[in-house]
Amino acid sequence: MTAQARTDAPAVLEPVAVAESSARRTWRAFRRNPLGLPAVVVVAVLILVGLCAPLIAAEPTGYGPDVLQAPSAAHWFGTDNLGRDIFAEVVWGTRASMLVAVCSSALAIALGVLVAVVGAYFRRLDTAVGTLVDLMLSLPVLPLMILIAALAGPSLPVTVAVIAAFSWPEVTRVVRSAALSVVGLPYMDAARVIGGSHRWIIRKHLLPATAPVIVVSVVLTASRAVLSAAGLAFLGLSDAQSWSWGRILYEAQQSGAMSSAWWTTLFPSLAILALVVSATLMSIAYNDARNPRNQGR
Amino acid sequence: MRRRSFAALAATAVGAPAVGGVLAGCAPSPRPGSRAAGATLTVATTTDVVNFNPLVGNSRTDYWITDLMYPRLLTIDDAGNKQPWLAVKYGYHDPKTGYYRIRDDVRWSDGKPVTAADVAFTINAIKRDKPAGNTTFGQLTNVARASAASATEVLLHLSKPDQTVLREVGFWMNVVPAHVFGKVSNVATFANTGDWVGCGPYTLVSAAKGQAYTLERTEPYPWAPGGKPSLARVVFRVYPDINTEILALRSGEVDLIANTLPPAQVDVLRHTTGITVRKVPGLGYAHLAYNMKHKPLDKLAVRQALAHAVDYAAIRRVVLQGQAVSTHSSPIAPVLTAYADPSMAEYRHDPAHARRLLRQAGYRPDAHGRFPLSLRMIYSLQDAVTAQWASMVASDAAKAGITITLQGMDRNTYLAKTDAGDYDIYAGNFAIMDDPVTNMALTYLPGGAINYSKVDDPALSKLITDAQVATPDEQRELVAKAAHLVRDNVYDNVVYMQNFYVAHRTEWTGFVAKPSELLTVVDPASLARVRTRS
Amino acid sequence: MTTALRFAGRRVARGLLTLWFAVTATFLLLRLLPGNPALAVANPNMTKHDQALLLHQYGLDQPLIVQYGKYLWQLLHGNLGISFTQQVPVSSVLLARLPWTLLLTGSALLVTIAIGVPLGVLAATRRGTVVDRLVQLGGVVGQSLFVPSVGIFLLFFFGLWLRWLPIGGAYSPDAAGAGWYGNVLAHLVLPCLSLMLLQIGSYVLTLRASLIDALGEDYCELARAKGLPNRAVVWKHALRNALLPTTTLVGLQLGFLVGGAVLTETIFAYPGIGRGIYEAVTQLDYPVLQGAFVLLAATVVVASMLTDLLYGVLDPRVRTR
Repeated sequence: MTAQARTDAPAVLEPVAVAESSARRTWRAFRRNPLGLPAVVVVAVLILVGLCAPLIAAEPTGYGPDVLQAPSAAHWFGTDNLGRDIFAEVVWGTRASMLVAVCSSALAIALGVLVAVVGAYFRRLDTAVGTLVDLMLSLPVLPLMILIAALAGPSLPVTVAVIAAFSWPEVTRVVRSAALSVVGLPYMDAARVIGGSHRWIIRKHLLPATAPVIVVSVVLTASRAVLSAAGLAFLGLSDAQSWSWGRILYEAQQSGAMSSAWWTTLFPSLAILALVVSATLMSIAYNDARNPRNQGR
Repeated sequence: MRRRSFAALAATAVGAPAVGGVLAGCAPSPRPGSRAAGATLTVATTTDVVNFNPLVGNSRTDYWITDLMYPRLLTIDDAGNKQPWLAVKYGYHDPKTGYYRIRDDVRWSDGKPVTAADVAFTINAIKRDKPAGNTTFGQLTNVARASAASATEVLLHLSKPDQTVLREVGFWMNVVPAHVFGKVSNVATFANTGDWVGCGPYTLVSAAKGQAYTLERTEPYPWAPGGKPSLARVVFRVYPDINTEILALRSGEVDLIANTLPPAQVDVLRHTTGITVRKVPGLGYAHLAYNMKHKPLDKLAVRQALAHAVDYAAIRRVVLQGQAVSTHSSPIAPVLTAYADPSMAEYRHDPAHARRLLRQAGYRPDAHGRFPLSLRMIYSLQDAVTAQWASMVASDAAKAGITITLQGMDRNTYLAKTDAGDYDIYAGNFAIMDDPVTNMALTYLPGGAINYSKVDDPALSKLITDAQVATPDEQRELVAKAAHLVRDNVYDNVVYMQNFYVAHRTEWTGFVAKPSELLTVVDPASLARVRTRS
Repeated sequence: MTTALRFAGRRVARGLLTLWFAVTATFLLLRLLPGNPALAVANPNMTKHDQALLLHQYGLDQPLIVQYGKYLWQLLHGNLGISFTQQVPVSSVLLARLPWTLLLTGSALLVTIAIGVPLGVLAATRRGTVVDRLVQLGGVVGQSLFVPSVGIFLLFFFGLWLRWLPIGGAYSPDAAGAGWYGNVLAHLVLPCLSLMLLQIGSYVLTLRASLIDALGEDYCELARAKGLPNRAVVWKHALRNALLPTTTLVGLQLGFLVGGAVLTETIFAYPGIGRGIYEAVTQLDYPVLQGAFVLLAATVVVASMLTDLLYGVLDPRVRTR
């Protein structure tokens, strides 16, 4: 069939105009949620800090003369056991932590969405996909991450790969159920009847329909990745070349400073908390706003 | 309706702890009232016991606990000299027959005497079963077999003359009771998990994995004042995290932390009321080994440039908080007064000189002053202090235009890489380098087990092999020559020798600090004398 | 009856598949990733020949497929093997830790549900209000906490500052008799609290969302129209359906918690399975690692079977599906 025929597919059910107005409505509802906007601001600030790290503080290297100094005007967040400035470490850590979050989430989403959509669209594969996802979800994730990271040798790519490898099933699970609810709808059948190619139908119909779920997954997977990476780093399984929030905490733990120098752990922990909380709140607010059922009640 | 659904949900939730409760109830039965009266010392450690068999080397806690039960033939003083313990005398009847004469007043906790037959059994069992991780096994290479000439004399029949074997085996080997360990067919696979028979000062009575290990006084113990160890009980408790461990000490839940303190915590705890910090002399060293099998580290100039790039004093001041001393770039630490040569000098920290050396060797820096020299340095992430100075070495090297890529890794990966020689620079440390001749043989002879720089210098090898069969006076001279050779050719780069600190509650006294982080204040000689201040 | 049987049969088959998957994945990971167990236990003085002997003793010199076959065969006989480093049966290594893990995760789950369900109901029935926002915020913050930092803070505050609770471990070595139980309970409080904080968010949020959905259903509208008080509608009609997703969550979380409490167990010096796994990783103790993963997979299988059973009780439609 021709491209003309494709656009002729039932217009009522593939509504561009409606989508636009629903986006506006979602945005309005989102703004009404008092937790939504502040969360967006915090995430934006953290992203900015990560991008502009070199402009904010010098890269913490080597050592400094004053070890384990409490916060002061010279060192806003105090110094660590080698006399390095913790503020600079947290700023530079933002970069590495964000990088791990973005990369592992991107990888997990790509894989997870692919598996979910293929499974949902080609019904014969669905049982296999469902079983695989269930099996993956039943694996003990953290112990396996520790095992792989320890054996493969800790580095940024390994951390990203390990986190992505255990995050995609959750993405698949969520996206799959959203996709399944769409494939049964009349306009999908119609698109098939008029002979749209599989790839076209998936790209034009299935993916847009699951987009909101994917957006939420991206945010949640990324924020969980930050926590997982910090946990691995705390067990000594992080890249020694770059600063991440987890590494600051790991060094505080190794030097026995956690119990006596509160600033070594408070600030990186707060950074983790700020990012994960605001990312989660953002996705909750978005979810609430997008669901018409949640509005006006 | 509502009640039913709720009840069902609650049932699963309640079910689990109920099961847990029942199991927990059976697993660790409350300890029966102890027989021995007196004080209990609670010791914190970060590693759990892996294996109770002293012939199978494993975690540090294994070492500490089994050391309180199974005696050594010799002990060690602060200068690394071997001193009598179970053996009162040792020597050679002829070049191929060594002997230990042991005390006759030591008894196992079941009343049987500790005899020469136990010592001979232990040596022969190690030779026969090759327990994994056993340090003594490698030292017994030249021992054909051992026998008991009498109840108090052990003979070592050597396959070739070996001047170091008696000292090394005497210090590193724990003697086990033949009437217990002899009952199993293979001592290498014997787990020794109960009904312990030790000679004291304390012997295990109960063990809860991941939790606590309780030892009770064993009498008579001839090394304790009056033959009676001062404590009724020693309890080791496991705190995997050093921070929790410190909190437990501050709250009084434990009386002593057996692990040596992270350098930055020494000052903090020194100023904490109720806590006393005590120095433990070091006997090992931390070093950098440049893999000479990898180009361009086979070039002396490159190794020298690397050595001159490091700011040794800063590492000792910042990472070690001044708790380490220089060995003057010699593999013989100054505490080994019999061997150390005070005329040696540490590699000068001089980045400009390092650059000059590289230029002379034909290297040309780029526009940013960086030489085309990129090296990989491995170290274990479980070794916090090394991890810290490794990063300082890398930033120092960058100032001299040399790029060092840090490869901190899990201990097992590190061991595998070390074994495969897969590194340019190796950063690590040895806990005890007590016997210069033995250690030089392992470190600098081609094929030596810890020859991490892969050095193969015939002149150095000759000095070492000569020393192995020389008299003690000749040994001193040969060792000094070898040390100069190592320093001048940068076959090894010793960064420092660390002194350690342990912390205990102030109400306890009588600790004896034995050298190295392996012995510290939990050595039998110390714990047999510890008491509360009164 | 036959449908119920078929349902149960499918469930068991699925459980076995999960077990096999976990066993195989762990087995392959351990052998395909780098790492040499002989080096992990050996002394540097050990020659290559002795290392090879050790590997032979561990059975690691055989072809992969032979090792795998032997392992599965032994597993079928309930034999998990002998620990490389501790040289005692793996089952005894794990059984020493299992009770503590079950106690900790079980009590954490209980407390979480006891607090989480009312909070979820509160948030759902007051949606849009300050109370709702606060509950949501609290749940999200709990989920996002970094366990070791919180753990050290709790220990510092309650253990050292106030001296209300002990610092670490599962019980004091000198506790005996009836006092032992109280001692165990005192040691349980802080790790339990930290696990509760960590997971309560997902319960509250899930329950809140599903309760809101349920309250919008026709039958609830109907009940309200019939003049039932709002309270009764929530607790009697809506909650029953809203509990279904929460039940699923229990199954998922239990599996996650049993092995996933590594950080909590490390900080609180709690002798659970997670910490045991971490230690086995550092020692490359293959048999203990394999055994632990079998045990964890079995826990997940049992937990999900239990939740399915519960699902059946709550929602009769499941059995006929």
